[in-house]
Amino acid sequence: MDEISIVGQVVGGSFGDIVIRQKSGTNLEIGDLMIAEENGSFLILQVFALEYGSQIQDKMQQMMSGVNLEQGIVDANFYEPEFVNYVLARIKPLARVYKENNDVKIPKSLPSFFNKLRLISKEDLKFLQKEKDSIFVGYIRSGSKIIKEAEVWLPAEDVFSHHVLIPATTGRGKSNLVKTILWHVLDTNKVGALVLDAHDEYFGRSGVGLKDHPRAKENMVYYTPSNPPVGANRLTVNLQSIRPEHFEGIVDFSDPQFQAIRMAFRKSRSNWIRELMLTDAVDAGMESNSQGRAEFAAATMMVVQRKLRLLLSLEKDEEGVVFSRHEVFDSTTKGLNTVDDIVKDIENGKVVVLDTSRLGDEAELLVGNIIASKLLQKYKDAKASGELDRKPVATIVIEEAPRVIGVDVLTSRNDNIYSTIAKEGRKFKVGLTAITQLSSVIPKTILANMNTKIILGNEMKQEREAIIASASQDLSEDDKNIASLDKGEAIITSIFVPFAMPIKIPLFEDIVREKGIKNNTGKTKVF
Amino acid sequence: MLFAHLSDIHLGFQKHESLQKIEQQVFEKAMDECITRKVDFVLIPGDLFHVNIPEMRVQKFAFAKFRQVHDAGIPIYVVYGSHDFSPVSNSVIDLLAEIGYITKVTKATSNDDDTISLDFLIDKKTGTKIAGLSGLKVGKDREWYEKLDRSSLESESGFKIFLFHGGISDMKTDTGMDGDLMPLSLLPKGFSYYAGGHMHKFNHQSFDGYSHVVYPGTPFAGYHADLEDNANGQKRGFVLVEFDDMVKSVKFVEIPNTSYEIIEINADNRKAESINQELAEKTKDIDPADKIVIIKVSGELTSGKTADVDISTIRDNLNERNALIVNISKNQLTSKEYSITEAKGANKEEIETNVFSENIGQLRFDYPELLGDEGVKLGKKLLSELAQPLLENEKKNEYIPRIRDNVLAILGLDANDS
Repeated sequence: MDEISIVGQVVGGSFGDIVIRQKSGTNLEIGDLMIAEENGSFLILQVFALEYGSQIQDKMQQMMSGVNLEQGIVDANFYEPEFVNYVLARIKPLARVYKENNDVKIPKSLPSFFNKLRLISKEDLKFLQKEKDSIFVGYIRSGSKIIKEAEVWLPAEDVFSHHVLIPATTGRGKSNLVKTILWHVLDTNKVGALVLDAHDEYFGRSGVGLKDHPRAKENMVYYTPSNPPVGANRLTVNLQSIRPEHFEGIVDFSDPQFQAIRMAFRKSRSNWIRELMLTDAVDAGMESNSQGRAEFAAATMMVVQRKLRLLLSLEKDEEGVVFSRHEVFDSTTKGLNTVDDIVKDIENGKVVVLDTSRLGDEAELLVGNIIASKLLQKYKDAKASGELDRKPVATIVIEEAPRVIGVDVLTSRNDNIYSTIAKEGRKFKVGLTAITQLSSVIPKTILANMNTKIILGNEMKQEREAIIASASQDLSEDDKNIASLDKGEAIITSIFVPFAMPIKIPLFEDIVREKGIKNNTGKTKVF
Repeated sequence: MLFAHLSDIHLGFQKHESLQKIEQQVFEKAMDECITRKVDFVLIPGDLFHVNIPEMRVQKFAFAKFRQVHDAGIPIYVVYGSHDFSPVSNSVIDLLAEIGYITKVTKATSNDDDTISLDFLIDKKTGTKIAGLSGLKVGKDREWYEKLDRSSLESESGFKIFLFHGGISDMKTDTGMDGDLMPLSLLPKGFSYYAGGHMHKFNHQSFDGYSHVVYPGTPFAGYHADLEDNANGQKRGFVLVEFDDMVKSVKFVEIPNTSYEIIEINADNRKAESINQELAEKTKDIDPADKIVIIKVSGELTSGKTADVDISTIRDNLNERNALIVNISKNQLTSKEYSITEAKGANKEEIETNVFSENIGQLRFDYPELLGDEGVKLGKKLLSELAQPLLENEKKNEYIPRIRDNVLAILGLDANDS
């Protein structure tokens, strides 16, 4: 190590909280990565706190400041100030890398006392090899410095089947991150994804988006309810695809209301919603069973009809045809195969983006529920028949995840498909990619199951605490670090990375500019 | 004003003489209906013929009928389908167009900015503006539609029709229909009528920006599965459209073809003997005379081979009782004991090797050369030999012994080995 590159020296502390003295003229930042070289290996350490140090007692310093301020003596200086006053940085060891084989281990010892440290460089990060079928998430970041040569790739199958959590508050680069991840998912057919895009921001209807990926035509399918752009699909789900259990854990139906729904399903099977909506509530309520009692009150029926009408935006025309105002649900012959087609695409390793921006919250989750239920069932069947190995891992990307896996939802209602996937999907290669502003309302059991967290900036202490408590690496000293993450900066904590990695996510627009479809010139041969 | 819309006639598809007759009769009846009903023009968006150059017998009756329609003053507008397509205008469609019996609609121009322009042709009598794209080979359709200069097509005023040949995913009604479907959004918007071909069942729907997207379906059969649908009651025919400056009505005209009997047997968790018994009983009760009889056995046998389900005796029996034809489908019949496991691979070669390797373990033979790696190699050699096509100018009676001798050589057998 040459003397110029040295930024500090170990002067004290304990394991996990080592104190170093900063070399004068250098400017350490929170989050900076540094290297302590030792025989045959080196330690990667990270700054988590900075404070002043001085050889002069506090009272003496305060008196000197008083003289300086009150008596206007402007040329009062310390003798050899770089020796007297300095910065102390508190650092923690992240990983020990063995030079011989680039093996990365969790450190279990301190760097030697007085060891001199330098900032990390690209040569130190050679162990970050891109492996086959992995996805790019960003570049290693040391404080605010980006090491562009050190790309962070995650093993796609492992990461997605073990669930991904993206905790972020608005404006910290959440959609940029999701687009970056999906962009790299599109490179191969190794990951199938269902993306419930509540803001219609991923496809790139106006502006750049996933559609600009060179393989978008083969590997991405976009569904939108109205006016689909050229080549896109119309999102129409036939009411026949909906079964009573799809409402469970999503819509707040009382027991009698659910009973009425199940009764309607038993009577009319596939056309149950249409029949139920066309039924005269009073007549239906008076219907008697063998005990001679009304099966359910007319009022219950009316509430069910009203809830379904609102939820699915249903109306009926003068000929008694039931239709939905936003055209997503159809009671005739449209959209009979939409769910099957989407599931098949995901099974083929495609990214299916559903524009759910015109749907209400519950309707969006319902559509996702129908597809996710079928997908999980197919993967379960594949496991039973020994064919799961041939299927790509599938992930369901869902925003505002607490809507379905929030503690209040899961305690007040039954489990829904999303919580089932969070709990047991891993066994069947189906995972969740959950995006949330409120990690604290997701039960610990589910948070603990989300084995990769890509943490973006978060100013809410309670949320940071929930994330830190469930992280795959010890982030107990990183509270301030997380709070100070700027837009596009993140920390990856995962069982699939050797240490909590600080990263910088590139701008999606830059990725598209560099790797997107280039406009073709020339004529197409026509005949 | 009135026009007729037919598609997927697949002339020349049928191999059996009795079905060839029906195929011809249905086509002639449909054309006669067009003449009788005095339609102003006829649209045929693809797969008029099953191949680009069908046998002479087919060409003869087709030419004769088209001449009649032509003499009646009824223009016929067509685009190629995926079956009768020829990139170098080497299709019987081109011959018919050349002598003026039909008119090809596709008038595509490639532009410098990598877009494709389509010109309208105008039906002289009605003033209808017609544009269209042929069905191309898989993948090419999508590329052309994506490059289509839509603004010129969409801004054209008047009553306009778009002819296309391709499956539209938004129109799909059967779960089994997969393959090269494309989204409706690829078609230009704002036409008065979309005359579709490729999907074999009648389907008429309207969408936002796309009114009257219609597939008349095949008038008889273009795939083997069509006969099964016919036997299950699928109505076949063509579409008549009444219009002035917009579509007034779309009516399906049924053309009855023949009578059918269908026997469907579920083989799940059963043995071949019980299937054979059920087949015998069910065929005994039907009158197969002059009917197309379809037998469909599907499911998974508990034991034995699928070949143990004895079809030939049943077929002989029905033929003796004057069945028009007996079609037997065992594609979906598997056996727990001998089930073929699928396997993936990066290319055809790898997939074949993997399928053989995955499945050879379940075979029990006394000959070690038929098992293990040797068996896989042998299987691949056989597959490769059996996939050899007919050589140019080679007759069938030369082709069959050639392949047979090669196969026997691969197996190391003499032709007279018992």
